[in-house]
Amino acid sequence: MNSIWAIARNTMAQALRMKIAGVVVVLLLILLPMMSMIMIGDGTLLGKLQTFSSYGLSLVGILLCILTIAISTFTLSDEMKRRQIFLVVTKPVRRWQILVGKFLGIVIVDVVLLGLFSGLIFGLTMFMPRFVAASPEDAVKAGDEFFTARVGLKVSTDEQALQERVKQRYEKLKEERRLPDTMTQIEVLSELMREERLGEKSVEAGRVRKWTFKNVYPASDPNAMIFVRYKLDTSNAVSDVTVYGLWAVGDLTAYEQGGGSLTTPIYNLQKDSATRAVQEFAIPADAVTKDGILEVGFLNNPNLNEMTVIVQDLEVLYKVGTFTGNFWRATLLILIRLLFLAALGITLTTWLSFPVAVLGCLAIFSAGIVNGFIMESIDGLGAGIGILYTFTIKPFLLLLPQFDGDFNPASYIVSGRMIQWLFLLRTAAITVGLKGLILLGFGIYIFHRREVAKSVV
Amino acid sequence: MAQSQFAIETISLTKIFPDWWGRPRVVAVDNLNLKIYPNEIYGFLGPNGSGKTTTIKMLLNLLHPTKGAAIVLGGTSDQAAVSSRIGYLPEESYLYRYLTAYETLDFYGRLFGLPNSVRKARIETLLDMVGLAGAGNRQVGTFSKGMARRIGLAQALINDPDLLILDEPTSGMDPMGTRQMKDLLAELGKRGKTILLCSHLLADVEDICDRIGIMYGGRMQVEGSVKELLEQTGKTYIQTSQVSDAALSKVRAILEQEHCECDIVHPMDKLESFFVRTVNKAQQEMQTTSGAGVGSGISGFLAEKEIVRQPGILDKLVTSRAAEPATPAESETVAVTQAKAEPSQNRELLSQLMEAKPAASGQPETARPTESVKPAEAVKKDLLNQLMDRKKPSDGSTTPTDNPK
Repeated sequence: MNSIWAIARNTMAQALRMKIAGVVVVLLLILLPMMSMIMIGDGTLLGKLQTFSSYGLSLVGILLCILTIAISTFTLSDEMKRRQIFLVVTKPVRRWQILVGKFLGIVIVDVVLLGLFSGLIFGLTMFMPRFVAASPEDAVKAGDEFFTARVGLKVSTDEQALQERVKQRYEKLKEERRLPDTMTQIEVLSELMREERLGEKSVEAGRVRKWTFKNVYPASDPNAMIFVRYKLDTSNAVSDVTVYGLWAVGDLTAYEQGGGSLTTPIYNLQKDSATRAVQEFAIPADAVTKDGILEVGFLNNPNLNEMTVIVQDLEVLYKVGTFTGNFWRATLLILIRLLFLAALGITLTTWLSFPVAVLGCLAIFSAGIVNGFIMESIDGLGAGIGILYTFTIKPFLLLLPQFDGDFNPASYIVSGRMIQWLFLLRTAAITVGLKGLILLGFGIYIFHRREVAKSVV
Repeated sequence: MAQSQFAIETISLTKIFPDWWGRPRVVAVDNLNLKIYPNEIYGFLGPNGSGKTTTIKMLLNLLHPTKGAAIVLGGTSDQAAVSSRIGYLPEESYLYRYLTAYETLDFYGRLFGLPNSVRKARIETLLDMVGLAGAGNRQVGTFSKGMARRIGLAQALINDPDLLILDEPTSGMDPMGTRQMKDLLAELGKRGKTILLCSHLLADVEDICDRIGIMYGGRMQVEGSVKELLEQTGKTYIQTSQVSDAALSKVRAILEQEHCECDIVHPMDKLESFFVRTVNKAQQEMQTTSGAGVGSGISGFLAEKEIVRQPGILDKLVTSRAAEPATPAESETVAVTQAKAEPSQNRELLSQLMEAKPAASGQPETARPTESVKPAEAVKKDLLNQLMDRKKPSDGSTTPTDNPK
């Protein structure tokens, strides 16, 4: 332990003497306060908070990732190049202790710097409402949608019923010999599936559609609110039109049945929304039944809209935690990336030179940044690509870390969304515990076998 | 761990460096069977590229042998039990430039798992011993090559090793440092250490090594004790103090009767001894004039000076041995000559080497102002004792308890 700690300390000393560390620290110390002043977002307090926290966290994340890559690839390779490693490996130190010590040193540097800069962002964010002259509504909105940690529930579709319907429609088409000749069976099926999915979201003019959310359990605070978040689109391709809609939230089923069985108030809301922009409205939490069921209905008023309205990304959100807790969980999500990159950098330099290792790390880091996107788009290509993809590219992509989509901490903070501990632990277990440790283990194996003084003529 | 009667034993040790394609290209070490006994100072010689450093690297597991095996202290050096007993000084001091001398030694001390108190005590002692006590807080990157070498040596001694592997320990050192290193190695050898010494300074090797081996082209060309290899049995060398011309001609007459070729000259002092004496004298004078000229000097240069002064301690450290009722040594030159003539009595040589200096009364020109520094001597001796875990009743508190043996 003593020797691991000695190596960790030495690695820290080495890291802090790298120019890049100084540059990153100075840059962030200047940029973050500056950003907090000049970023205004959409002009509201909420917009300002969202823009600053999003850019701030992303900037800290990316700069620390680059710094981690630089340190982790430099520390071992430089010692090999300058042969300082000769005096280390000839001491009673196991080779794994050297790598673990280096890893530990980088982790400590990361934790300190991340703590420092996340703390700075946190402080600036918390103080921002005091320095911005915001209207009371703005302040409330910021409190509801930003300084919170909310859980979001999406519409759950009954996949089995969906598939059943697709199957039935397909059989029917087949019976009636209306299957198009130019399409394969798979293509027809996926087209039908797409239509069905769209059908679940679309509301024709003059019609009402109702979505049911289960397991909605907001805090039992009488002032608790539920937020409905959505994006509207229309069936005609003209963009950016205003859609007029009437929303109803509450125990709609009981309401339809009539009688005195109504268990919740029904909240009606007239809201005109621009298309293709995220919208949100709030209603009191007592709209949820005791069984945790919330129904959201949308009436497409035929007098005002002439086209079918498609309700996209419908989500109900409610507060389950505090902003502070959530913010530090977001920071931990960044730390997970850093730990992975540290393990990666050290591992690569057990057999690669500094420049090659840096390139490799940057490549893998970039792949991680777009990993979810690539997977999504390949999945989106449909079943046709199927087997080849499933057995070649997909496993490879799964090996890579995932830093985007659900793993992007800024997106949680911006939308005031709760990062669940369970999710955090699972991500840590997979990214660090599994991928990181496997990498480091691989590095230790190579370093253990390697001739430190190797020279090739 | 297998028991071996040798401190170092290599069995058909071979190293072939491949080219980029993995084809064998350079045979650096070829079937080397090196055997070094415990408590032996072994001079490992050879021209550049003869495979000395490669051999050392294989001994230390920095390189893997292509063929054969290297057994060090009864095991292999990747075993912690073995490597904790080795001190290694590579061909250049590969130190962390940003650490101070103190931090450097602290770092290596930690790698050896030395407890805090022991580590601290040893670092102080070693810094003192290598003459860098004043430069402990200076970053190693600012050191001259010789100073870095001293730290390298201190680093190799911090674990009180049983086996010292030194690759060109004196490269870049000034003559004082070189002298010191030599004295130190001799003293360490006397204290039961095994030393593998790689050096191009043949005079030094000759002075302190028990056995030497000369490598060429990766093969051991010749190996043996210094006496075996160097003794010229066909010649005899007589040395006396000042002799009258009459006595000389008598001697010559006797020898001519015996049909011996005879050549009578005055012996030359060694340049090294002369240099050491001169510098010591200069320093002594500077001390007495109380630094008037010192203050204006350049700091780097001064630092070096200081190192030069400090090492004097080392000689004296060893010198203090003379306090014991020693065999009366006539002169320094005698001691050296005897050593050459009687290499088998190396221990004696060493002690004589060290005792030589106080013999000032005999030869005024070798007189060194030892008196004024005497208290320091005692301290330094203590330091070395301390470092080497030889317990002294007086300093029980700092006596390390971590000795692995």
